[in-house]
Amino acid sequence: MYAYQLENNPYPSSPTPTEKDARILGGKRHKEAKSAILECIKELCNKVGGRDSTDGDFRVITLIQDVGSGKTHLALHIKNLQSRHNTVCTFLDLSTISPKTIPSLYNAIIKGFESEFFVQLRIKLVEYMRDRAEQGDNSAKKALDYSFMNKLSGLTIKQKAEEIISGKASVSVENIKKFLVQWFNYYESNLIKNVITNSFDTVTNLEELLGMMAAISKLTHRFLSKIVLYEIDEFDGNQDSIEFVKGIINAHLPASVVLLISTPSGYAEIQGKSPSVFDRLEKANYKIDLVGSNSQEELLEIVLEYIKHNDKKGKFTQKTQDELDEKIRVLYDEFPEFRSVRSIINILYHAMEKSADLDLEKIDETAIDETIKHTYPGLKVRGSIMSVPISDFISIRRTCEDESTGTQLKDAVTNLVNFSHEMGNIGKLEKQNQPLDVIYQDPYGSKIGIAVVINENHAKNFEAISNISKSSALVDKLVILTNSNLPSSESTIVINVDKSKMVDLLYFNNKYTDHKIGSSDNEKIQTLARTINII
Amino acid sequence: MSKEVLERIVSAGLNGIKKAELKKTFGKNCDSILQNLIDTEQIFVEKKGVAYFVWTRDNYVSYLSQNDPKCKIVLSMTNGKNYSAAKVKEYVEDKVEAVKKIPLQNIVGHENEFKTEFDRRLTESSTSIGWAPFSDIRKKICDSTNISPENFYSMAAELVEKYKERYEISSGGQEGIVMRGLVHGYVRNV
Repeated sequence: MYAYQLENNPYPSSPTPTEKDARILGGKRHKEAKSAILECIKELCNKVGGRDSTDGDFRVITLIQDVGSGKTHLALHIKNLQSRHNTVCTFLDLSTISPKTIPSLYNAIIKGFESEFFVQLRIKLVEYMRDRAEQGDNSAKKALDYSFMNKLSGLTIKQKAEEIISGKASVSVENIKKFLVQWFNYYESNLIKNVITNSFDTVTNLEELLGMMAAISKLTHRFLSKIVLYEIDEFDGNQDSIEFVKGIINAHLPASVVLLISTPSGYAEIQGKSPSVFDRLEKANYKIDLVGSNSQEELLEIVLEYIKHNDKKGKFTQKTQDELDEKIRVLYDEFPEFRSVRSIINILYHAMEKSADLDLEKIDETAIDETIKHTYPGLKVRGSIMSVPISDFISIRRTCEDESTGTQLKDAVTNLVNFSHEMGNIGKLEKQNQPLDVIYQDPYGSKIGIAVVINENHAKNFEAISNISKSSALVDKLVILTNSNLPSSESTIVINVDKSKMVDLLYFNNKYTDHKIGSSDNEKIQTLARTINII
Repeated sequence: MSKEVLERIVSAGLNGIKKAELKKTFGKNCDSILQNLIDTEQIFVEKKGVAYFVWTRDNYVSYLSQNDPKCKIVLSMTNGKNYSAAKVKEYVEDKVEAVKKIPLQNIVGHENEFKTEFDRRLTESSTSIGWAPFSDIRKKICDSTNISPENFYSMAAELVEKYKERYEISSGGQEGIVMRGLVHGYVRNV
């Protein structure tokens, strides 16, 4: 059992999404992009509905965003929805085709369709021939291989067509050509023959390729009343890819939408290699903008969507959502490594697996820590003097903005002074004298006072620091630790305590109060004490 | 012995102690000890009436400041000078503080200036989808200012990190900001 009592790990593990993974789509920006694509499809469907399609019924959509931002996921998600939107879709990943020859591109396009599409198209085409035959078209009868003997034996044309559809009988390859050329153009005839015989000819040049693509679109619209969505992924500055796409755009495939997926660098390559194609892309009918696809809010929505979708028992309550939300926010803020959909999904996949291994009820800091150790073994908390483990970092960092942080830091500084005293780094400790939190003597007998001023309200900090500065006469040196960015003066040293220093101090304090300081920590603690001028 | 004598003089406070009394307490050797303390300016001896009185240096100054009118005037003048000196010191401190703040203000000012210039060049360089190569922005900014390419990328990296909800960066290109081990050569406004 996985965390949140899920029966399966809701997160995909593959580095690039599969169609199955893409069934779930989370995130406001991604959902908006999805709506925009569906809007384009709907608009074209409405336009070509009830009439023959023409070369004006063609749309180009571009989707340009960084790697790992969810472009392919979105494209595959749209492909999964094809049956609901009067669309058939083929997905073509140009990076998987090498060399990008015309036959290999055509082969990939055909393979990119669901096999069910060709089954449906085949049925419709055979039914079309059946209808023509029943209306007395002898060439149609011949194409169906409906012979005099068939008629004598009582086999009807309808039955013969059904046998062909079920695979019990076959068409006459020789006669089907003769029949088709009467009603369809060269490429359409070839395609119909290929579909009915379940055998696709190779194409040898761009003209043939575009002719066959136009035939697919035209016949799909005519016989299935659907438009074709060509999704072309990993489009970049490769010359063959550019020629191919340029051809498609210029061909104005009827009743078709071409979705071109690229990265900003790929887009720039195209700009450099082919101004004419770049100009066509700039004038695309729709430009899908996944802006903010890697923003914190978007990633959170995506991540939570996977669990919500799989949470059949309703165990993923608002409280648990909020807890997971906080942990992911820390990961996002502190580690640039986790600022993309792909990387955060990867972490959560492994964390979920870890939760099953450790029998955890939820994804906690330990699961994330273990995961990061295995999947990002070189990852360290930036700027941490105490080498705080990521699990402790997440847990402490989450509470850094609590009201009690100031008090905790005062305790931490007091204990750090105590520790330095125990280590012989400083002289005797003196009685606390408000508003100073700690007073002690350095090895030369100078009296040092430390005050901790931590408030969310920086104006409050400024006021407190001004008041404390008046106490500088009580000591030889006054050190103020604060989260505000203020300059030191001659009498007062102001040290800025940023989030990483706070975590270091609180981590030290936890270890000190729990008596868990080992000899290997001594040097790090002394360094920490130096950074805040204790020694 | 010298320490004990000095302690006794200290304990006498502003009134001082008669030399004869010290001799009575510490014996004949007292004279040489007192002379030694006088030489090292730790004590002061003055005839008052028929007797010689001994003070520590600080106590003697306090005694004079309370009882001798001339000394009072001199001290008040000295204090006045001290006050003026304190005023001067305060003024200097203020100025030092102001000087210290100048680089900070300059940095903040430069940051704002850089951001404005960066945004302007980004808008100029971007395509219809909003993305622009860092290299184009870098060239324009480095040409119009005296910033080196290294400084440009250092400031750009800080800017993008500081306003991470306002800028998006994308991998690829020949130059740019290195994030997650990848050169991110493209940027746009969110």
